[in-house]
Amino acid sequence: MEEMTVNPVAATEPSEKKRKRARGGDPNGEPIYTGPELSKGERFRRALKSQSGWLFVAPALILMAVFTFYPIIAAFVNSFKENYSGMTGRFSGWGIDNFVRVLKGDTGTGGANFVQCLVNTLVLTFISVPLSTLLALLISVALNSIKRLQKAYQTILFLPYLTNALAMGAVFATFFKIIGTTSYTETVGIVNIVLGWFGIKPIDWVGLGSPHWQIGSLSIPWAKYVVTIVYEIWSGLPFKILILFSAMQSINKQYYDAAKVDGASRWTILWKITAPMIMPQISYLLITGIMGGMKQYSAIVGLFGTTMGLDYDMGTMVGYLYNYIELGQTGYAFAGSLILFAIIMVITFFNNRLTKKRTTYR
Amino acid sequence: MSNLLLAGSSATGWLVALGVLLIIAGIIVAIVMSVQIARTVRAMKRPAAVVGKWDLSAGDEGFDVEKAQKRAKTMHILKNVLVYVFLTVCALLAFLPFYWMLISSVKTEVEFRESVPTFFPHSFQWKNYWMIFHQATSASGATVSFDQILVNTLVVGLLSTFLGLVIIVVTAYALARMEFKGKNILFAVMLATMMIPGELFTVSNYVTVAKAGMMNSYTVLILPFLVSVYYIYLLRNNFMQIPNSLYQAAKIDGLSDLGYLIKVMIPLTAPTLVSITLLRFIGTWNSYIWPQLVNTPPWRMITNWVTGGFVDRMQPTSPWGANWSIYNGFYGSSMSLDTLKMAAVCMVSLPLLILFIFCRKYIMRGVSKSGTKG
Repeated sequence: MEEMTVNPVAATEPSEKKRKRARGGDPNGEPIYTGPELSKGERFRRALKSQSGWLFVAPALILMAVFTFYPIIAAFVNSFKENYSGMTGRFSGWGIDNFVRVLKGDTGTGGANFVQCLVNTLVLTFISVPLSTLLALLISVALNSIKRLQKAYQTILFLPYLTNALAMGAVFATFFKIIGTTSYTETVGIVNIVLGWFGIKPIDWVGLGSPHWQIGSLSIPWAKYVVTIVYEIWSGLPFKILILFSAMQSINKQYYDAAKVDGASRWTILWKITAPMIMPQISYLLITGIMGGMKQYSAIVGLFGTTMGLDYDMGTMVGYLYNYIELGQTGYAFAGSLILFAIIMVITFFNNRLTKKRTTYR
Repeated sequence: MSNLLLAGSSATGWLVALGVLLIIAGIIVAIVMSVQIARTVRAMKRPAAVVGKWDLSAGDEGFDVEKAQKRAKTMHILKNVLVYVFLTVCALLAFLPFYWMLISSVKTEVEFRESVPTFFPHSFQWKNYWMIFHQATSASGATVSFDQILVNTLVVGLLSTFLGLVIIVVTAYALARMEFKGKNILFAVMLATMMIPGELFTVSNYVTVAKAGMMNSYTVLILPFLVSVYYIYLLRNNFMQIPNSLYQAAKIDGLSDLGYLIKVMIPLTAPTLVSITLLRFIGTWNSYIWPQLVNTPPWRMITNWVTGGFVDRMQPTSPWGANWSIYNGFYGSSMSLDTLKMAAVCMVSLPLLILFIFCRKYIMRGVSKSGTKG
């Protein structure tokens, strides 16, 4: 469309109708110069050319149609097919059987249990996310109050971000691991040695004999929870520090100068200026942290292996999906993925309600 | 079990123990002290400012300005020291796993299993690396060499980064600068898909690629992840910031849309593009779940290679003799060894750390903008 407006050739005044077609009308009623009268063929050619943007988005659109839009529809349709097998496409009938069986844990395949996975995911997320955000806040405040070596500390603290969850999970497992057989122990691991100084007996944190509480059919492997949470905090800190620290750096220094003139103490400044100013970032981190936490899987595999602990007792919701894909029970995997989607939607909804009420100071 | 702790103790062991204890004590002291000092400083600051300097009518009885200032200065230094101690402890803890990974990878398995771990290896056993490079391994039995895995990862990483970047740039350009019917609806629909967890797509995509017979190929690792809506969104916003007058000028000079994109837009948004490139490559390097699902071991990526067990196999053709084994213990030669695993972990992690050292600025900027790993 732009090429028409810069066309310098003078021409006869086009009719009102044609002008409207060409420019979509003018709000001021002023006649707009729209170029020379065009033949039908030329108009079509130009109209086609003006739509050439579709050519640019075509590659992305085709790929998304196959790998994004179609899967959404497929997930909704296929999760209602009973005894569905993805490979053959065969199914025995329509119904909500998949959902019922997934929620009841009655899949008859010896795979992961959905309720167990759901509880694990929720517990791990809602403990590790607030803890690591709080710690990140402390570190950012400390980082913000120093001048020398600030960049160096920032860089070192950012290092864990770039790591691979599976690789570093394996490293964390060695911190907690007891190596040996039942009759002979070679090392109880660094963590157990440190705990030993306080008179705590070695705990089998990640192994087969890991302690757990039993609530009905639900297992609460608290020792493995501790290991996972420690890892999640370590790996989650860098991003949170980066966001909070850069938010603190971007606060206008005039606020601090004004507060100092008024004789405000450091804590007053922290709670009355810094904290409210970075509130948007804190809530952003909590939201993304919870969203990411709901989808955790790689770290569990890194720490506890592909079986996700003993008989999937450390399974997560995403781990559940992959477990059932591997077992060839595509119907359950689809149903599980829809339930996960629904849970994330609920969290998003509540989060939107909460953030709308919160005042932001920018 | 607990008496083993004492039985195997050595001088280094106790030094280590002392070190860790000091770190923990440091954290506790730092927290307690900082609270205390903050209170003291707050209590002190007001009299020093108000009474000492301005409120002359109150008189100076019992209040020594110089002394108070001196005390405030001492407190300030003390507070700074505590902040640095706190940060150092945090930095050490953040770095500890890397250090542990590095030293464990060159320890002998016997040293690694000592009941009190050593913080510095007695001897460096570089053979560990030879072992993992020459060990054809995988959890499910099929044999894969490290060379094969590295080639897979690099080919997939480079191809998917490059092709993905082309698609992202072209799409972002069309959405930012070109006019066509339905543009806004298209953009809104694309953004809406970001709300949906990727796992929902994965199940369907698995069925799709299985039916299309695409499994065990590079294509299946590249195609599904070429389009990244978030990066398109990020780049589109970047493109929008470039003034429209540049576009008009280029048009008058007879530059086509594509020419304008290549000659003007791309150079102007280079920093963002570098960040996206790096993050995408890191993302591909770290991909685990999808390759594990759709490909058999010879077609998998480096992260999948790490999770396969590394077994102390006797190598028929090792440079250290025919029946040479690393552990040399009574377990025989088929143990899954942690030192070998740590060497493999190093091979996965070190390239990323080196990349970070050279491209720190771009990576950190990209992360703070996008908040994704690729």
